[in-house]
Amino acid sequence: MSQGIVENLINELMRLPGIGRKTAQRLCFFILSMPEEDARDIAKAIIELKEKARFCQVCFNIAEDDECEICRDKKRDSKKICVVEEPSNLAVIERTGYRGLYHVLLGALSPLDGITPERLKIGELIERVKDNNNNVEEVIIATNPNTKGEVTARYIGGILKPLGLRVTRIAYGLPIGGDIEFADEVTMAKAMEGRREL
Amino acid sequence: MRFKTEGIVLRAFNYGEADLIVTYLTADRGIIKGFAKSPRKIKSRFGSSLEPFTHARVSFWGKEHSNLPKIVQSDIIQPFSHVREDINDFLRLSHIIELLLSLYPEGISNKKIFYLFLQCLSYLEQAAAQIFCAEVDKNALYLLFKIRLIAILGYAPMLKQCGRCGQRGLFYPSEGAVLCVRCAPIGARPMQTSKAAVSFYEHGLTWPLSNLMRVKPSADIVGELIALLDEHLRHVLGKELKTAGFNIR
Ligand SMILES: [Zn+2]
Ligand SMILES: [Zn+2]
Repeated sequence: MSQGIVENLINELMRLPGIGRKTAQRLCFFILSMPEEDARDIAKAIIELKEKARFCQVCFNIAEDDECEICRDKKRDSKKICVVEEPSNLAVIERTGYRGLYHVLLGALSPLDGITPERLKIGELIERVKDNNNNVEEVIIATNPNTKGEVTARYIGGILKPLGLRVTRIAYGLPIGGDIEFADEVTMAKAMEGRREL
Repeated sequence: MRFKTEGIVLRAFNYGEADLIVTYLTADRGIIKGFAKSPRKIKSRFGSSLEPFTHARVSFWGKEHSNLPKIVQSDIIQPFSHVREDINDFLRLSHIIELLLSLYPEGISNKKIFYLFLQCLSYLEQAAAQIFCAEVDKNALYLLFKIRLIAILGYAPMLKQCGRCGQRGLFYPSEGAVLCVRCAPIGARPMQTSKAAVSFYEHGLTWPLSNLMRVKPSADIVGELIALLDEHLRHVLGKELKTAGFNIR
């Protein structure tokens, strides 16, 4: 019987990304040794997240209400919108000190997977930018630096640029702490293209 | 077992947190898939070498006949980065790749397909980087590429004459052939074919892509054949391709 419930939790934990049997076992026995109250808090937090999380109706970030905390924050610079692929991309940009708003596309263009522009939140972005009440002056496209992300960025850029606002793309380059010797020619060429005055 | 081969990246899809499953078109093993550990991490040693259309020398590690060997090393031969950054080229090649993945089973070597693909990429890259002196019509290039590809794969329809009796006739996509009035099934809908289009097509079945430097088919011919082949392939595949959802200019 006890074998059953332990094994059950291990199997459930293994469904999470990056968690193999060993880690799942460690987590399971750790939870077993926790005060019941703490373990309950974890379970409750998971349930609450699943019950309350939805997409912000403005930027498609994860929200508890119709609008996410960032969109509701009137102190933020509403003239800038940073476009990302997934809600999980926001956290790292937030840590840079960026104080503008966001727009989450919920994916990137991918013809072989049938992900067309209509399947992404691109139309919503365009509406948002066109709406004069929003006063958007710059759209920063921070999709991933890979083929799908780049194609998505160019597609959006092609639509937004004629509207007469500033459309920028985050820089390509070498990772900090890396060694030029190990860069491939495409990454290096991009870094050369994006060079600037010292 | 470790093996090395030369391949073109056809597609890559995310697997787990930071891993990728990459589909290659190789010269000596046909279409194969490989698994790459953590290439999506910013400091990955794979760099950009697993991006679509990259021509690379790749080392795999796995059991003999493993259907998902591990990619242990990948060195770029030609990145073809201009091609994938052009939205139109990216969409059109994605369409051809979907076709290839639908019609060409994994693990069967075919050097012709590999070198045809590589040559098409080279022309597109030269055109994108504007070092192609002679103007090449991309629509014609994609058309010829498609004709050659389906000819090699054995799906090219015969357009010259009735497939049953040799008389003149019309093309019936549902039958995959030209049929005369007498041989055509009742109720099937034919497509008109012009003499010039049929002639270009018949030559195209065996032409090298480089012939487009001197032969320039008219936009009408290209348009007619693109529509005809799309209809033909819709019947061959029995389904709509995912890439058909894109408006390809
Ligand atoms: Zn929001
Ligand atoms: Zn006949």
